[in-house]
This record gives sequence, structure tokens and C-alpha cells, in this order.
Amino acid sequence: MAKSPNEPSDRSRRLADLLARVKLGDRAAFGEMYDMTSSLLLGMVLKIQRNRAVAEEVLQEVYVNIWRAAASFDASMSQPMTWLASIARNRAIDSLRRAQTQPHTVSTSVQGSDDDDERDAMQDFAAEGGDPLELLGQAADRLELKRCMGGLTSEQQQSLALAFYQGLSHAEVAEHLHQPLGTVKSWVRRALQSLKNCLSRAAQQQAA
Amino acid sequence: MDWSRTELAERLAAEYVLGTLRGPARRRFEALLPAHPGLRQAVAQWQARLLPLHAGVEPVTPSRSVWPAIQARLFGPTVNAPVNGPVSAPGWWQRLAVWRGAAAFASAAAIGLGVLLSQPQPASPPLVIVLNANPDAQGVQPVSFVASVTPDGRALVLKPLGDVPLEANRVLELWAVPGAGAPRSLGLVSGERATTVLRTRLLEGTAAFAVSIEPAGGSPTGAPTGPIVSVGKLQS
Repeated sequence: MAKSPNEPSDRSRRLADLLARVKLGDRAAFGEMYDMTSSLLLGMVLKIQRNRAVAEEVLQEVYVNIWRAAASFDASMSQPMTWLASIARNRAIDSLRRAQTQPHTVSTSVQGSDDDDERDAMQDFAAEGGDPLELLGQAADRLELKRCMGGLTSEQQQSLALAFYQGLSHAEVAEHLHQPLGTVKSWVRRALQSLKNCLSRAAQQQAA
Repeated sequence: MDWSRTELAERLAAEYVLGTLRGPARRRFEALLPAHPGLRQAVAQWQARLLPLHAGVEPVTPSRSVWPAIQARLFGPTVNAPVNGPVSAPGWWQRLAVWRGAAAFASAAAIGLGVLLSQPQPASPPLVIVLNANPDAQGVQPVSFVASVTPDGRALVLKPLGDVPLEANRVLELWAVPGAGAPRSLGLVSGERATTVLRTRLLEGTAAFAVSIEPAGGSPTGAPTGPIVSVGKLQS
């Protein structure tokens, strides 16, 4: 066996296998999937919902959702981890809406407005990951996204990071950055458009 | 104008995935998804694009109470009841008669299979194991399976031969049975179509494969609890 079981492809394949069995109603597979993914999903939820107790309730909902919706998972459309992560993010965002609480945004880049702020916000995603992070795609994809993010203006980067990591709405990002709502909306829109163009150019070059 | 609609769909999908689409707009968008494959695809593409952003997320181990709470919500409070009481009778796999009977069937099947296998084969043919209906199984309609295992023992495809009649709330579970010791669950399998099982060491130490009938969700004990419907021994 040349491959170690920790290689991303193996872990992702294992997860796909588990999800296929969860589709059949296999509780043991569901438990194994929980062991494999729960710390990562809780990390994602906690970024958005910072109250630990509420975040763990959200995590329960996430796995209840996963179990019930597994039959609708379409392997031809998305990777298992992408699907799990999207459920976790959605439930976390819902929990903010439900609780009507002000999300805490202090931990990364709140004070001041100099360049360090933006670096802090981006540090999150530049950090080297531990083991479960290998489920989040190939290192090459991560580098590519990082490169494309680097091509955005600093305002665009910061808006995206605040929205993605902390689950802030346009209005909350605007308030946070002391900018008019319309300005922030167009930063976000252009940022997403540039990101898409950059990533699809990269994909074309790889294919050529 | 088709392009504008596509552009709008694309923008909404991006903002939905990013999380900036909120409130009623988010709920309306979610309601549209099931009926609009194009929208679903745009969402899936954005999820894949942005997934690597999570690489900065620090994994946080959940409290011990979370998993039991999930199980209680999904399967009711009995799931974690300690396994003892009536289950303490010797497991079916410990009864030698099962294996003697199964072995006789398997030998007959192997002869039949030998004829099939004498035809030209690709370089590394899969290992084919017939799981015969267990004649000792009580009150169960006989059913057989064919398992094909890749020579490296990393993938197994199990196909039912004919219909497997199952009561509601009953499922089929596949087991790898070692020469000595308790069987290992290989997970639930379908009684209607082929099921693919991926493992790193399907064959290591495995003397036989067996299929049992279990309550919904699979064996609650980690060992087979229901009648074993089919068994197939590996030829060593």
C-alpha cells in the first residue's frame, strides 16, 4: 500500500462511502461519519455562531439534517464535504437570524483600519490546516483560491472574509467597515465576479 | 433575455453560498432550489469554489453530550441502552452447524463457479464469492448473494440474486467473519440492487461473508442480532 489512509483522496473516498451507507439508513456509518467530520463542522459553526452552547445545538441540527437529507445528496453534483459544510453554514446562519443576536466580530480585524486588519482576517484562510482539513479539497485548489483572493482589492477581500467566516450580512459588513451599504454590496458583487473569473481561467489553463 | 436571467441566478447563488443573501430572499431562494436544477448547479459550483476557504477553520471537538443528543432526536431515547439481557445467548456465528451447512453449499457453488471462471479472464480477476441462502434461517425466505471483491481487498460489490422480501423496519447488514472472533460489520446493503462497499482490508483475516437481517439502522450491538440469511466462505 503506497498510500497512507490520511491522504486527502482516501479520506474523501472514505467519506463518500460512508455517506452512501448513511443513505441506506446505516447508523454505524453515520456514527463514523460523525467522528470524522464533527470537529471540522463545529469549527465552521463556531466561526459564525460564537456561543458554544448554541453552536453545539446547531451542530445537532446539522447532523439531524444530514441524516434526513442524505437520500437527496447527489454525488454527481457535489463532493460530500462540500455538501456537509454547506449544511453546517446554512444552519449556523439560520441560528443567527433566529436568535436576533449581534454576532461578535471582535476577534479578527475589528479595531482600527490599517493594513494589519485585513491581514488578520485573511490569516484564517492562509493558515496551514491539520488533519481533518484534508477533507477540504486538494492543496492545489486552496493555493489557487488564495492566489485569486490575493488579486482582489483589500476592501473586497475584507468584505468577503467578514461575510464568509463570520456570517455577516451586507448591512453588518457595511456597519463594521463604516461604509455605505451600496458600496459594500458592490464590493462583494465584484469580488465574487473576479473570483469566479480568476478561478475559471486557472481551471482552463490546467486543462490546456 | 436568457443571459440576464443566468447572470441573476449566478449572482444569487454566489451570495447564497457566501451567506450575504438573507432573510426572506434567502428563504425564497431555498424554496426555488428543488425545482431548478440550473440554480442547484450554480450553488454547487459556488460551494466547491469557496470550500477551500474553510482551510483556516480550527476544528473544535464537540462535547460528549452532542452525539447522544443527535441519536436521541433521530432514533428515540433507547439507542444507548446498554447491551445486555436477552442478547447474551451465543451468537449465531458461534454455532458450528451454520458453517458446516454453509460450507457444503459453498463447495457446490464453487464447482459451478469453477466452470465459469475457466473462461479467459482479465489479468486480475475479482474474487467472486457466492453467499448461499442459509438453510437454518428461521422464518426467512431463502436468498442468495454474489460478492465480487477486488484482489487488493479494497472494494466489494454485493448483488442480491432475486428479490429479498423484508418486513418494514428491517434492513440487511453485511459482515466479514474472521476465522476466530466476532464478525466485523461492513455496513448495510441493499436487497434490491448492487451495493458497493469500500474498505482498506476487506479480505484480511476474513473467512466468510454473511448477511443478516437487522432492525432499521443496523445492528444496535455491533454484532449480528437477527437471523443470518446468507453465508459465503472464502476459498483459501
